Amino acid sequence: MSALEIKHLFGLRGVSKHDIRLILDNAKQFREILERPVKKVPSLRGMTVVNLFFENSTRTRTSFELAEKRLSADTVNFTSSNSSVKKGETLVDTLRNIEAMKIDIVVVRHKGTGVPKFLADNSDAIIVNAGDGAHEHPTQALLDMLTIEEKLGTLEGKNVTIVGDIRHSRVARSNLWGMTTMGAHVTLCGPSTLVPRNTELMDKVTWESDVKKAVKDADAIIALRLQKERMDDALLPSMREYRNTFGITHELLECAKDKVLIMHPGPINRGVELDSEIADGDNSVILNQVTNGVAVRMAVLYLLAGGRANA
Amino acid sequence: MRNVILDNVRPFVDGKFENPTKMCLVDGAWADSAPEGSQEFDAKGALAIPALFGLGLDFKEPLRDDIYTFKDGVDAMRRGGFYGGLYESCANAIDDSLKLSAIQQISAKYGLSIAFLGAFSNGYQCKDLSEMVELAQGGAIGFGDGNQDCSRSRFLRLAMEYGSMTGKRFFFMPLDDSLRHHGLVHEGCYADTLGMKAIPRVAETIAAFRILEMARFLKVPVHFKQVSCGETLRLIEDARKIGVDVTCDVDIYHLLFDDSCLFNLDSNYNVPMPFRSAEDREALWKGLESGVVNAISINHDPVLRQDKEVNFEDAVPGAISLEVALPALWKSLCGRLSAARAVELLSTAPAQLAGVAPAEIRKGSAANLVLLDPDTPTEVTPSMFAGQVRNCPLLGQKLPSKILGTYLGGLWTEV
Repeated sequence: MSALEIKHLFGLRGVSKHDIRLILDNAKQFREILERPVKKVPSLRGMTVVNLFFENSTRTRTSFELAEKRLSADTVNFTSSNSSVKKGETLVDTLRNIEAMKIDIVVVRHKGTGVPKFLADNSDAIIVNAGDGAHEHPTQALLDMLTIEEKLGTLEGKNVTIVGDIRHSRVARSNLWGMTTMGAHVTLCGPSTLVPRNTELMDKVTWESDVKKAVKDADAIIALRLQKERMDDALLPSMREYRNTFGITHELLECAKDKVLIMHPGPINRGVELDSEIADGDNSVILNQVTNGVAVRMAVLYLLAGGRANA
Repeated sequence: MRNVILDNVRPFVDGKFENPTKMCLVDGAWADSAPEGSQEFDAKGALAIPALFGLGLDFKEPLRDDIYTFKDGVDAMRRGGFYGGLYESCANAIDDSLKLSAIQQISAKYGLSIAFLGAFSNGYQCKDLSEMVELAQGGAIGFGDGNQDCSRSRFLRLAMEYGSMTGKRFFFMPLDDSLRHHGLVHEGCYADTLGMKAIPRVAETIAAFRILEMARFLKVPVHFKQVSCGETLRLIEDARKIGVDVTCDVDIYHLLFDDSCLFNLDSNYNVPMPFRSAEDREALWKGLESGVVNAISINHDPVLRQDKEVNFEDAVPGAISLEVALPALWKSLCGRLSAARAVELLSTAPAQLAGVAPAEIRKGSAANLVLLDPDTPTEVTPSMFAGQVRNCPLLGQKLPSKILGTYLGGLWTEV
């Protein structure tokens, strides 16, 4: 159990239990390192990682950058607002130009589904998906899994409920693939305009329209961020009705287990998908998720780079 | 080469393939003998199929001759065995008789039978009527606004009402823009798994129903291009029962692919009308069998390499097909339909829809044909394609059959 089967991290659909286990176990070791006074290890010394972000991101990019720096990699940040993409350069040309500067790993975020795979098909670099459209956000799901294992010991047999805008959520998609692979029971719940209609290929999860039923047996609840644009697009009538119907509130949690974990990928719309008293309450592990994000990303980068070095 | 002797060839005559024989093709006709010096070609039992007629040609010239030209398009037709086609550019609205005349002059240089659709609105904007009477007088065989949705029902009514004076057919790709809502792919389990913006079937059926109702009301003949789902075929059948004059075609690639191809995330699968489910694909095949579908369309739509070498959602939609259509589809067609129906769908019926005389193979008369070895596979390589574009979903794949040569407009081209 020392090398990943995957060469890149595009998503968690199709990733084996072996690989997810390896990433989580390595992340636990990096998690310990993050508690030390000196948080840096030399694992990626001499390697260059480019953070290629075509979409705005603060926490994911910062988390990746910290992970890279703590692995002693050289890092370069490339955002579409300051790049040649603005001048009309194609994605492939952008990548090839960056690659010509002898980089090793590209962490990419893009609005388009499949961009990480597209880049891997057109480059020799190791590609890590930091979010592609509404497709996948694998490191977010891995950090969610790490947080649940940290708090509950295992994912096997645990009930995880994801509430909110499933249709547009890359976090939900990555979680449903990853968590079911690791033996968790995943329940998805959201307004009918915000859940996919065609779920034949997502048949390992339970779809529940009643949020009270969805949270009843949950060991962990992940509330998804609700984008304001969903109102503009007539997918929902109001934030108020959403909060009253699908928000994670004190009243809703009276239907759930006492020690249910409350999780959120951030940034939170307080008083919409999550009430403040819940976000800051005893059951909340949201800041643990943030810390675990760095550890998981260190593990992913370390293992993928190791796979290349051993090839 | 204008004269060629095809040895050991099986010509399609009177609805069936004859036993292997010799064909002397002289000055565009099947003659009893060929003059000395004619090229001889051993067809080794290959089929001589009446040349095909391509519905949905877009050669981009003149506005986008940086992408593709008529010369490229005619080259592709000769490689693929097409003696003619129906031209409708999504980029260049042929919305007045001068534009029509200009493009007819370009086309006439190449000697193949290309018919033209005129736009029914200026610039495909669905705001002002085009000069449809003059377009019809100039030779437009019907009217269509490219792949644009005409969701303004009153304008649609007026366009069809005014155009009815010409007696011409109106051509539509039925897709409601509002329901499409920036979608690119079929709304089904693959799109939902990938989180892609998608187009539900109702975007097609609602647009089709609106047009059928208008056609019934105004008694105007209509044609649906690239029908992609079974529900639309049912609407067409129902409309015919109450007397609506409606014809339709299905796109070649919709017979070959369904939305499971999305998992490849190959931008060559990004086409204007999305590939729908396996059940829809089967419904289209059943429509060919039952006769609900009138013709198979080609929709040859060249896209520059740099506009396809991007991620799926940022790619320009469109696929080229002239060079590969026949070898890709022939065996599947003949597996489910008679050879006569296959020829009808690819050659006779599309030509009739465009008002062009169908190609036929008959001793003593003009011959336009394509020579196909049905059992020799062909690998689709970049060199198969004319011009600079390569946006073919079959690139790199093996086709079950192989084109050996074509005889079009009296010119033999060995492929």
